[in-house]
Amino acid sequence: MTERPATESTPKWLQDGSENVSVRLSRTNTWGGLETRAWYGPEDAPKLDYERNLGDPGTYPYARGSYPDMYRSKMWTLRNIVGYGTPADTRDGLARARSAGSPGFDIVLDTLSQEAIDPDHPTFPVEVGREGCTLACVADLEQLLDGIDVTKTDIAWHSTVLLYPMLAAMARRQGLSLDKLQGSHMPDHVQLNLTGYGERIMPVRLAHRASVDCLEYVARHSPRWACGFPQAYNLRERGLTPAGEIAVGMAIVNQTLHDLAERGVTADDIAPSLAWVSTSDIDLFEEVGKYRALRRVWARTLSERFNATNSRSLRLRMACHTSGRSLTYQQPYNNIVRATVQTLAAILGGVQSVETCTYDEPICIPTHEAREIAIRTQQILAHEVGAARTADPLGGSWYVETLTNNVESAALDLLERIEGMGLFTAVESGWIESLMDETNERIERELATGERVLVGVNTFARPDEHRPARFSFDQSSIAEHVKAFTERKSTRDQAALSAAIRALHDTAARGENCLDAMIDAFELDATIGEVWGTFRLALGYPYDPFGVLSSPFH
Amino acid sequence: MRSASGSDIRCVLGMLGVDVHSKGLRTLARLLRDRGVTIVYLGEHNSPDGMAHAVAVEDADVVGVSFSTSTYVPHTTALLAAMRRAGVADVPLMVGGLIHPDDEPTLLNAGVAAVFGPSSTTEEIMNFLTDLPRARDRAAS
Repeated sequence: MTERPATESTPKWLQDGSENVSVRLSRTNTWGGLETRAWYGPEDAPKLDYERNLGDPGTYPYARGSYPDMYRSKMWTLRNIVGYGTPADTRDGLARARSAGSPGFDIVLDTLSQEAIDPDHPTFPVEVGREGCTLACVADLEQLLDGIDVTKTDIAWHSTVLLYPMLAAMARRQGLSLDKLQGSHMPDHVQLNLTGYGERIMPVRLAHRASVDCLEYVARHSPRWACGFPQAYNLRERGLTPAGEIAVGMAIVNQTLHDLAERGVTADDIAPSLAWVSTSDIDLFEEVGKYRALRRVWARTLSERFNATNSRSLRLRMACHTSGRSLTYQQPYNNIVRATVQTLAAILGGVQSVETCTYDEPICIPTHEAREIAIRTQQILAHEVGAARTADPLGGSWYVETLTNNVESAALDLLERIEGMGLFTAVESGWIESLMDETNERIERELATGERVLVGVNTFARPDEHRPARFSFDQSSIAEHVKAFTERKSTRDQAALSAAIRALHDTAARGENCLDAMIDAFELDATIGEVWGTFRLALGYPYDPFGVLSSPFH
Repeated sequence: MRSASGSDIRCVLGMLGVDVHSKGLRTLARLLRDRGVTIVYLGEHNSPDGMAHAVAVEDADVVGVSFSTSTYVPHTTALLAAMRRAGVADVPLMVGGLIHPDDEPTLLNAGVAAVFGPSSTTEEIMNFLTDLPRARDRAAS
């Protein structure tokens, strides 16, 4: 849905596709809405105070980068998203991406698994394995990771709910120590509440409790496991500006670090395990300013508010997935250009890993061809462009330094408002959701007036569009997989499983950390629906958010 | 007698199933409200029967669902069946979101009144709405 200009109000130059207007300056605000001037000069520099506000790369406050030699010491990790159908299907996709040259993988789960709903839930048979891999019990994980040593590989799981305890249960079964677990997931549950799950699927107080439990357990047991926290990517995609990303992300971080401290977990215990999950939208300079401002805000907050002293806590690592929302269904090959600029922004901004969106993201889950182009995009930027040669290459630009300051001050203003009302109130009252709605409405209005030009959408459109191929795969194995999933339930040690579920319920109800109890249940072949449903029940919410199932353990 | 504004249109909007990508639908709800359409916004995670019930009790002139997942054909078919059961099969259903053009004929043949895919504009949706007969007109005929 696009708010395209009404005929009578359309500016003349927008109606006219002729070449003399095709590269006219159409906007002077950033994509996120910050005002800019025609030029910047030395008079904008006095406020810089290099030692205090910037510092060399790898030194406090890390505005210029988290490591002294940046990409000379370690390149960013090239990542690719894989996930469809059954665990066996996704395993096949991993092999294909590896052979195309992707060293890092992100596994994405289907919507049901992301919402902790079992694949045999009677209401949603068509959803199984459709937008990602179905993954609902340890047996699924074992199938997906057969032959892969989880203490030696770096898989990034695009998953929040229960992924860590499920993987920990598999590791325990294999006799592996949790302190050697490697890889990452994204245990930011509060973000899910704000991005479409709502109070019904992910009540904010339950969400926050789940995050604190998980992070406490990781800090105490799996120091090599990384947590994508906050998961600000989804929030941006939903409708936050770059400044809004910093504000809402830090509000979630601050509340979580505060509550972890009450459990005796200090910022220095957990912060080295955290990585900020971010995005690059299309405004290159604004995004670079955002990454720089974010590292500075993070370092100062961790130091001044949470008394962190470890440099590994103060220097923020960031994972970037380029913006899927910015890509257009119309003229989809243009998306290759968009994703290239966004990937460049991430590199100039000094991130630690990048997933470049495939150009067909608005059309379907990635085809193998589109994925290969995304991989090649990063390889060209890494090997030909030279964008990684020198740390913070835009640092010292009067414009970029000013943008960095402006993004930061807008973010801190918004953060103050959120913390003034309290994070939970800001979420539960719908205040943050309204903030995102307003941004989205403003964008649509700007597209209508031509104040914001989206090439191929509200101008330079072409009526005779051809569509790239849709991704498809053989779905015949899904029904068989669901059947095996259901049948496995009757082979379990019911007495031991019931006891484990009861223990989980009681632990959750007492307000104690639930992770050990969750891992115990998963070891006994409990499913995500059973474990999460029990956690929900113990905290006073219905077992099944859709009101169809009740707990089989009562 | 119909005006070009949406001032007397009642429109139910919502999402079905487990789809969480409601950004587009929320934005559409705001844009249509600004044009005078009365929006009954049901949010995400509705069941087909729940949504059909809402269409009946809200005396809706039209209902709209949006999808970002590829499972829109079975969900839409289920909603149409639920609307028949609820006695509101005559209320036009519009479907939007990431709808692939290859699937448009399937949806239209199943009984969907209009498909608004990624290239559709708010004006097109608004034109569709202002041309619809109102619920009370249908009842009178």
